[in-house]
Amino acid sequence: MLELLVTLIVLPPLLAAAWIAIGMVFGSNEGEAGEAGTAHIAQGAAVLSLLSVLSLDLFALLVRAPGQIRLGTWLASGEVEAAISFTLDPLALSLATLVASICLLTQRFSVNYLHREAGFQRFFMILSLFTGAMLLIVTAGNLLLAFVGWELAGVSSYLLIAYAYDRNQAAESATRAFVTNRIGDAGFLLAIFLCLSWIGSLEWPDITTGSAGLSRSSAGLILLALLLPVLAKSALVPFAGWIARALEGPTPSSAVFYGSLMVHAGVYLLIRSAPLFQQAPSLMPMLALLGLTTALYGWLSGLTQTDVKTSLMFATTTQVGLMVLACGLGWLELATWHLVLHAIWRAYQFLHAPALMHLATGPARPVPRWLRDRKRLYNAALQRFWLDPAADALLVRPTRQLARDIQAFDDQVVDRLVGLPDQTSALSSMEDRGGRGPGTQAKGVTQASGLLGSLLESLADLLYWFEERLVLRGGGEGLEAGIRHLGGYLQQIEDLLSRPRYLLLLIMATLVVIL
Amino acid sequence: MSEHTAASTEIRKRIRDAVAHLEHVLPGQAPIKDFVHHNTLHGLQQLPFSEAIAEARRVTGNRGYLPPQRFRELLAEGRITEEDLTVVLDQDPELQADELLIELEDRPLERRDIYFGALAHPLQPITGNQLIWHIQELGALVWLQSDVSHHNRERLLASARLSGLTTELEAIADLWSACLSALGLEHFILHPEELVDLAPEHAERLLSDASRDTEEQRSPLQQRIRIEAARLLQNLLDRVGPELTLRSLLQQLTGEDLLDDMLPLIIRQLASFLDQGVAPWSTPNKEAGFFHTWRELAKSDLIQVFQELHTWRDEIDSLPHDALEAIIAELQRIGLPRDRWTTYLERLALEVPGWSGMVLWRELHRGYEGMTAPVAMLDYLAVRLVLERLFARRLCRRCWQVEASLDMLRWYFRRNGFELLARHNLFAERLPEYLAARVQRAVATSDLDRGERDWVQLAELIWTWRRSPSADRPGGHTVYSGAWPLFRLAQHLGLAGTDIRALGRRGADVIFDCLAKLTDDKAGNLWLLAYERHYREQVLTALAGNHGRGRWSSRDTAPSAQVMFCMDDREEGIRRHLEELAPEIETLGAAAHFSVPHNWRGLDDKQATALAPVIPNPVIPAHEVCEVPRPEARAQGATHARRHARLEGWRQSLLQGSRRGLLAPAAALIAGAPLALSSLIGKVLMPARFDRLVSGLRDRIEGVVATGIELTAPNDSPPATPEKPRLGFTDEEQADRVEALLRSSGLTYGFSPLVVILGHGSRNQNNPHASAYNCGACSGRFSGPNARLVAAMGNRAPVRALLAQRDISIPAGTWIVGGEHDTCRDNIFWFDVEDIPSALGAAFEGLQQQLQDACLLHAQERCRRFASARSDLDPAGAYQHVEGRSADFSQARPELGHVANACAFIGRRSMSRGAFFDRRSFLISYDPTQDPTGEILEQHLLTNGAVGAGISLEYYFSAANNPGYGAGTKVTHNVTGWLGVMEGACSDLRTGLPNQMIEIHEPMRLLAVIEQSTKMLTAIYRRQPPLQELVGNGWVQLAAKNPDSGEIHLFEPDKGWVPWQPPDTPVRRVKRSIECFAGESGPCSPALIAAPDFCRE
Repeated sequence: MLELLVTLIVLPPLLAAAWIAIGMVFGSNEGEAGEAGTAHIAQGAAVLSLLSVLSLDLFALLVRAPGQIRLGTWLASGEVEAAISFTLDPLALSLATLVASICLLTQRFSVNYLHREAGFQRFFMILSLFTGAMLLIVTAGNLLLAFVGWELAGVSSYLLIAYAYDRNQAAESATRAFVTNRIGDAGFLLAIFLCLSWIGSLEWPDITTGSAGLSRSSAGLILLALLLPVLAKSALVPFAGWIARALEGPTPSSAVFYGSLMVHAGVYLLIRSAPLFQQAPSLMPMLALLGLTTALYGWLSGLTQTDVKTSLMFATTTQVGLMVLACGLGWLELATWHLVLHAIWRAYQFLHAPALMHLATGPARPVPRWLRDRKRLYNAALQRFWLDPAADALLVRPTRQLARDIQAFDDQVVDRLVGLPDQTSALSSMEDRGGRGPGTQAKGVTQASGLLGSLLESLADLLYWFEERLVLRGGGEGLEAGIRHLGGYLQQIEDLLSRPRYLLLLIMATLVVIL
Repeated sequence: MSEHTAASTEIRKRIRDAVAHLEHVLPGQAPIKDFVHHNTLHGLQQLPFSEAIAEARRVTGNRGYLPPQRFRELLAEGRITEEDLTVVLDQDPELQADELLIELEDRPLERRDIYFGALAHPLQPITGNQLIWHIQELGALVWLQSDVSHHNRERLLASARLSGLTTELEAIADLWSACLSALGLEHFILHPEELVDLAPEHAERLLSDASRDTEEQRSPLQQRIRIEAARLLQNLLDRVGPELTLRSLLQQLTGEDLLDDMLPLIIRQLASFLDQGVAPWSTPNKEAGFFHTWRELAKSDLIQVFQELHTWRDEIDSLPHDALEAIIAELQRIGLPRDRWTTYLERLALEVPGWSGMVLWRELHRGYEGMTAPVAMLDYLAVRLVLERLFARRLCRRCWQVEASLDMLRWYFRRNGFELLARHNLFAERLPEYLAARVQRAVATSDLDRGERDWVQLAELIWTWRRSPSADRPGGHTVYSGAWPLFRLAQHLGLAGTDIRALGRRGADVIFDCLAKLTDDKAGNLWLLAYERHYREQVLTALAGNHGRGRWSSRDTAPSAQVMFCMDDREEGIRRHLEELAPEIETLGAAAHFSVPHNWRGLDDKQATALAPVIPNPVIPAHEVCEVPRPEARAQGATHARRHARLEGWRQSLLQGSRRGLLAPAAALIAGAPLALSSLIGKVLMPARFDRLVSGLRDRIEGVVATGIELTAPNDSPPATPEKPRLGFTDEEQADRVEALLRSSGLTYGFSPLVVILGHGSRNQNNPHASAYNCGACSGRFSGPNARLVAAMGNRAPVRALLAQRDISIPAGTWIVGGEHDTCRDNIFWFDVEDIPSALGAAFEGLQQQLQDACLLHAQERCRRFASARSDLDPAGAYQHVEGRSADFSQARPELGHVANACAFIGRRSMSRGAFFDRRSFLISYDPTQDPTGEILEQHLLTNGAVGAGISLEYYFSAANNPGYGAGTKVTHNVTGWLGVMEGACSDLRTGLPNQMIEIHEPMRLLAVIEQSTKMLTAIYRRQPPLQELVGNGWVQLAAKNPDSGEIHLFEPDKGWVPWQPPDTPVRRVKRSIECFAGESGPCSPALIAAPDFCRE
């Protein structure tokens, strides 16, 4: 019974998303006529999830919290095993209740709000996917399953920021969010790897018990790896830049992703991995510091923001920073309460964002005098402490340059090696021939007619090409030219290596090999 | 020297003038709280409508008509008929529609047929690949196109049979070859891969052709490309100013949009500078002006470090102190010739029209909402120019190692013409994929010292491709731009191959001449005229049919009650239902400021708000009126004020405090979260019930206070002025205003015992554009207070005495009641009911009930337009639906506003009473029999006409081209600085109406029908330049209905009054108006209602 209920938490929204997606592929839920069906499926799934969570809540209240529930093995290889398991302790249950109810309310809100939008079906598909993903994150019994949820949430966030993908700004912000989150994912994967190697299991209870046996540095390393996805997903400094730009999607999606739920996923992960912190207390001050920095960043930047959604976003960042601060100080209980109440309040507030202008009776209370005239600080806050341009300068541009170089390498080296011909214009080559008519020379060395003939013809041409390229040219002048080319390439590679980014890449590659 | 000074003064003056002129091209929308409908192209109103649209398209690039595809759908839906189009084509002298082209077997072929075919079917040129797709996938040379009408299909096949072609295949093949030969073309099907490069035969022909050409063209290929590149360069540089900015020039050459980098910088600073109260921390030292503060802040901007803008700091330090000087310096630095400076600034402003428009609006409305910081367009333009050049410099350095000036670019590209050609073709024109990929790669790797050789090769490839048969070439007929459209047209005209051959080359030329005449704007205009004609005919036919039917053209007996509504088109429905329910009631319509513009301060208001019209010119009230507790409720009033202040304080600290500060928000949201959760659940699951619950709760806590208004000032008060508004009106002033209202609406005699005056407003949630749903005559606010005020004035004995002296005697037994109609929720709120004399108590209750019933019926009529309302709702169910909508914060369409507004009737209600106009008509009461001099009508036209035209034209442009003139979808809107809405977190301010407000609107110009003789109208027209602009330039359509004979004349700007002939088809007659709309969700045509006693039958 419990197993069934657990399944019914996560699965329905994911299935609903799949159903809507299939409908979109086959065009069966297109346009205005398809809206009702789509909305019913999505909401039905969300209701089912909520009911399952509520009945588990009831069970927990009346009997006991179900704790760890294992449904089966997902992957197994030698001693390493990944289970399909769920952790249903009070923390998970309360967060699952929160997620399921807020997602349901938001979906219901969106039925009217997105009526007649071209992206109606897409929106509900993504929202369902997100509901499933968030529920998976908070109920997952092990790191790997949580990671799956983590990824799905990331993908749905990317898709919703790019809701209006015809606008450059939206597409670019979506990519930025996506890339930032990939950095976090790398950390998550590393943490999974480290847990497997040092603890031997990915189950939350095993991590709790197993962490006791870990050395300080091992626990610290796992934590550091886990911190990366926390920083990225909850948009803490220094990864805070993406979330303020993520407000390109429809209002309800901004509410549920960035105001209310997804932004708290990092904090949840921190609370979950609390046992590790006890093993590595020296990391706590760092965490507190990160939280405090984020809170200050959000607070100061928020003071200068002039559009409603961004202003709310920075207020959210501030509070998430405070939650992380609380975690760093070891006040997990407080952080959890803060998280839940904050999520509810922001959902409410973000959904009312268009009305703030009518609800607010006057201008916001101005900042105190001592702050008002600090021009430099004001400008820093207005420019959001340049986190975005800094990330551009340090990460994006070098990466982009790298890609360009590889493209050039492809063009100049690989294509030629493979033998893709250079294209020249028919006209200019005709002209080069000095007006000699095109009929004077046959197209290939052979000419034939009929199907069989043309088959043979192409075969002959192929052999001819092979011969000419590799055999004839291979000797004599061909070889010499080849060597000259090779020299050129080596020279280019040396040039490239003299640029710092390649040196860096080389060092990184070496490190990877050594490790 | 003095000459130099004179020149520099002159250029400064020219720049200032150019900035002042920007008012004509930038959106003139006020900050969104004060949104009032106005003509989107208000700045071009001095031009005729079609010319203004063309001019706006030239300047902003926005199309001003519905897309042709939409018009074709309307044709298919029957909202436009073939007859409408034909009439419109025949009326246009330019088109010479009846010129005979050829006499065919069975009929003459005239230009008209060509025009019709070209309008009704898409005939645009296609590309080589599209043609292949048409031929191979759609069988274009096997069957007739599927969209050819049955009639034309038969005609074509019959004609082909005459020449011995029996099958469809033969007929169509023959037609295709005839089309080709008529244009002297030949066509062979190329495989897509053959389109990659020139076929050898073509290359050969091109080269041999060249030998016959002029000297220039005989030169070698590279030479020719060089010449072309030089021409392109000259052309591009010449267009900088009138058409391009440095940013758009570079975008055409690099594909990079400088605005992407600049926009966040500009928007953040500008929004902070203009902010009206979102951010707690706004720009320090605003008083110095935007340019100055920007410069100060930019110095410490680390963007220079991260974005590699190396000279940023120095350049900003060296900027002149004055914005105008900075503009001049910048324009000089980019090397733009002086005569193009002003056009350049216009282009620059138009790149971000929403923000530019807002800067200009705030410059023109200094001191708006008490904000003192100077806002200046020059400051803003200077910042834009400086930033543009700084970012352009970085780009130019990176790409070509040159400075960002036109001279340097000219110098560089004179030497690198091949690169110019390749880049321009990639980024500004269209290249096939294989070429695009290569050029892209060349561009991406250009920093690896790519040699000129590559560019030469690319330029050659492009040059060749452009001469290949698959490229779209300008000039001359090709298979794709000539034969194909002709082929399509022939099918739609039912012409077979023989007919085309008979036409010959000359006939084909005439056909293409016809097609050329139908430019986008011309075609759009013709469509619009036909669209308008269709509905106009219906409206005029109904009006003509209704002549003499409506009651109370003169009040021989007094109606049981008189109810005056706003002239708003949304009130047509409820008036009609009220009249159907209670034929003994008379309804009237007036602009709902009701001639009492004033500053209103409600019981809970902290400050007074002006309830006065702003169109055509803002009326700044000189009087203030307060709502106060009645004497017997003073104690409750005090309690209410205290508790309200406390509740409001809590609410504000929750809403505002939770987004400002560090720890305070945490405390606020912990307190607020439980409330928020219950509120969310309530609002999402059962909005209407929750709304009632909350307002009931609030009433219980704060207490309901009986209020009255303080409207009277002592008669010896000093005169009231806008600068020093006075509390209350003197008796004389009150009598003036009441008289103005009664005279303009013709209610000067035959008063009923109860006269009701209803203002209106729309209560809805979560809607930044809320003002647009409220009363346009009260600058987008609720006009209930005006109704209450004018009613209170009219009930005062001294005022009635004064009125009696002026020949308006309101009987002692008459009482005037004020109220407010909520157009979203469809209910009526009554004011000062306590004061109604007890003798009228029963009558008032009856009237209330009748109005309530009318509201229900009206709600039912409105629900037919809502997709989420069931189609079989009864009145009570419909009422519940609209109530829920109004309380629902997830509704992006709480109501539909003025959607579908199309006509305005200025005259007695009797002209339209008894007919159904689908809530599409403004109804303005005016009695021609009481207006011998025309003065009253003149006022109506100048004020109410302008309001109606403003609403209609705003809807027109937002609906005709929402991406260009409207605000896009509400779903991603983000309110900024209380100024307007952006899409997402960083975009231009979107002006106009959002998609949700216009999606079912039928964009056509307002048809004003005036009950007055053409003679008097002509006289008024002659003496009023604003009317000559509005009507003479065709921004509204005007018709006159003679009060006595009922004859209708249409006003045509170039011809004057033209008598209108009713068509033979009679108007539909129905018993009740519900028969007109039951089961319909689209627009319904006018009809005559034959309810008993409703009208004289």
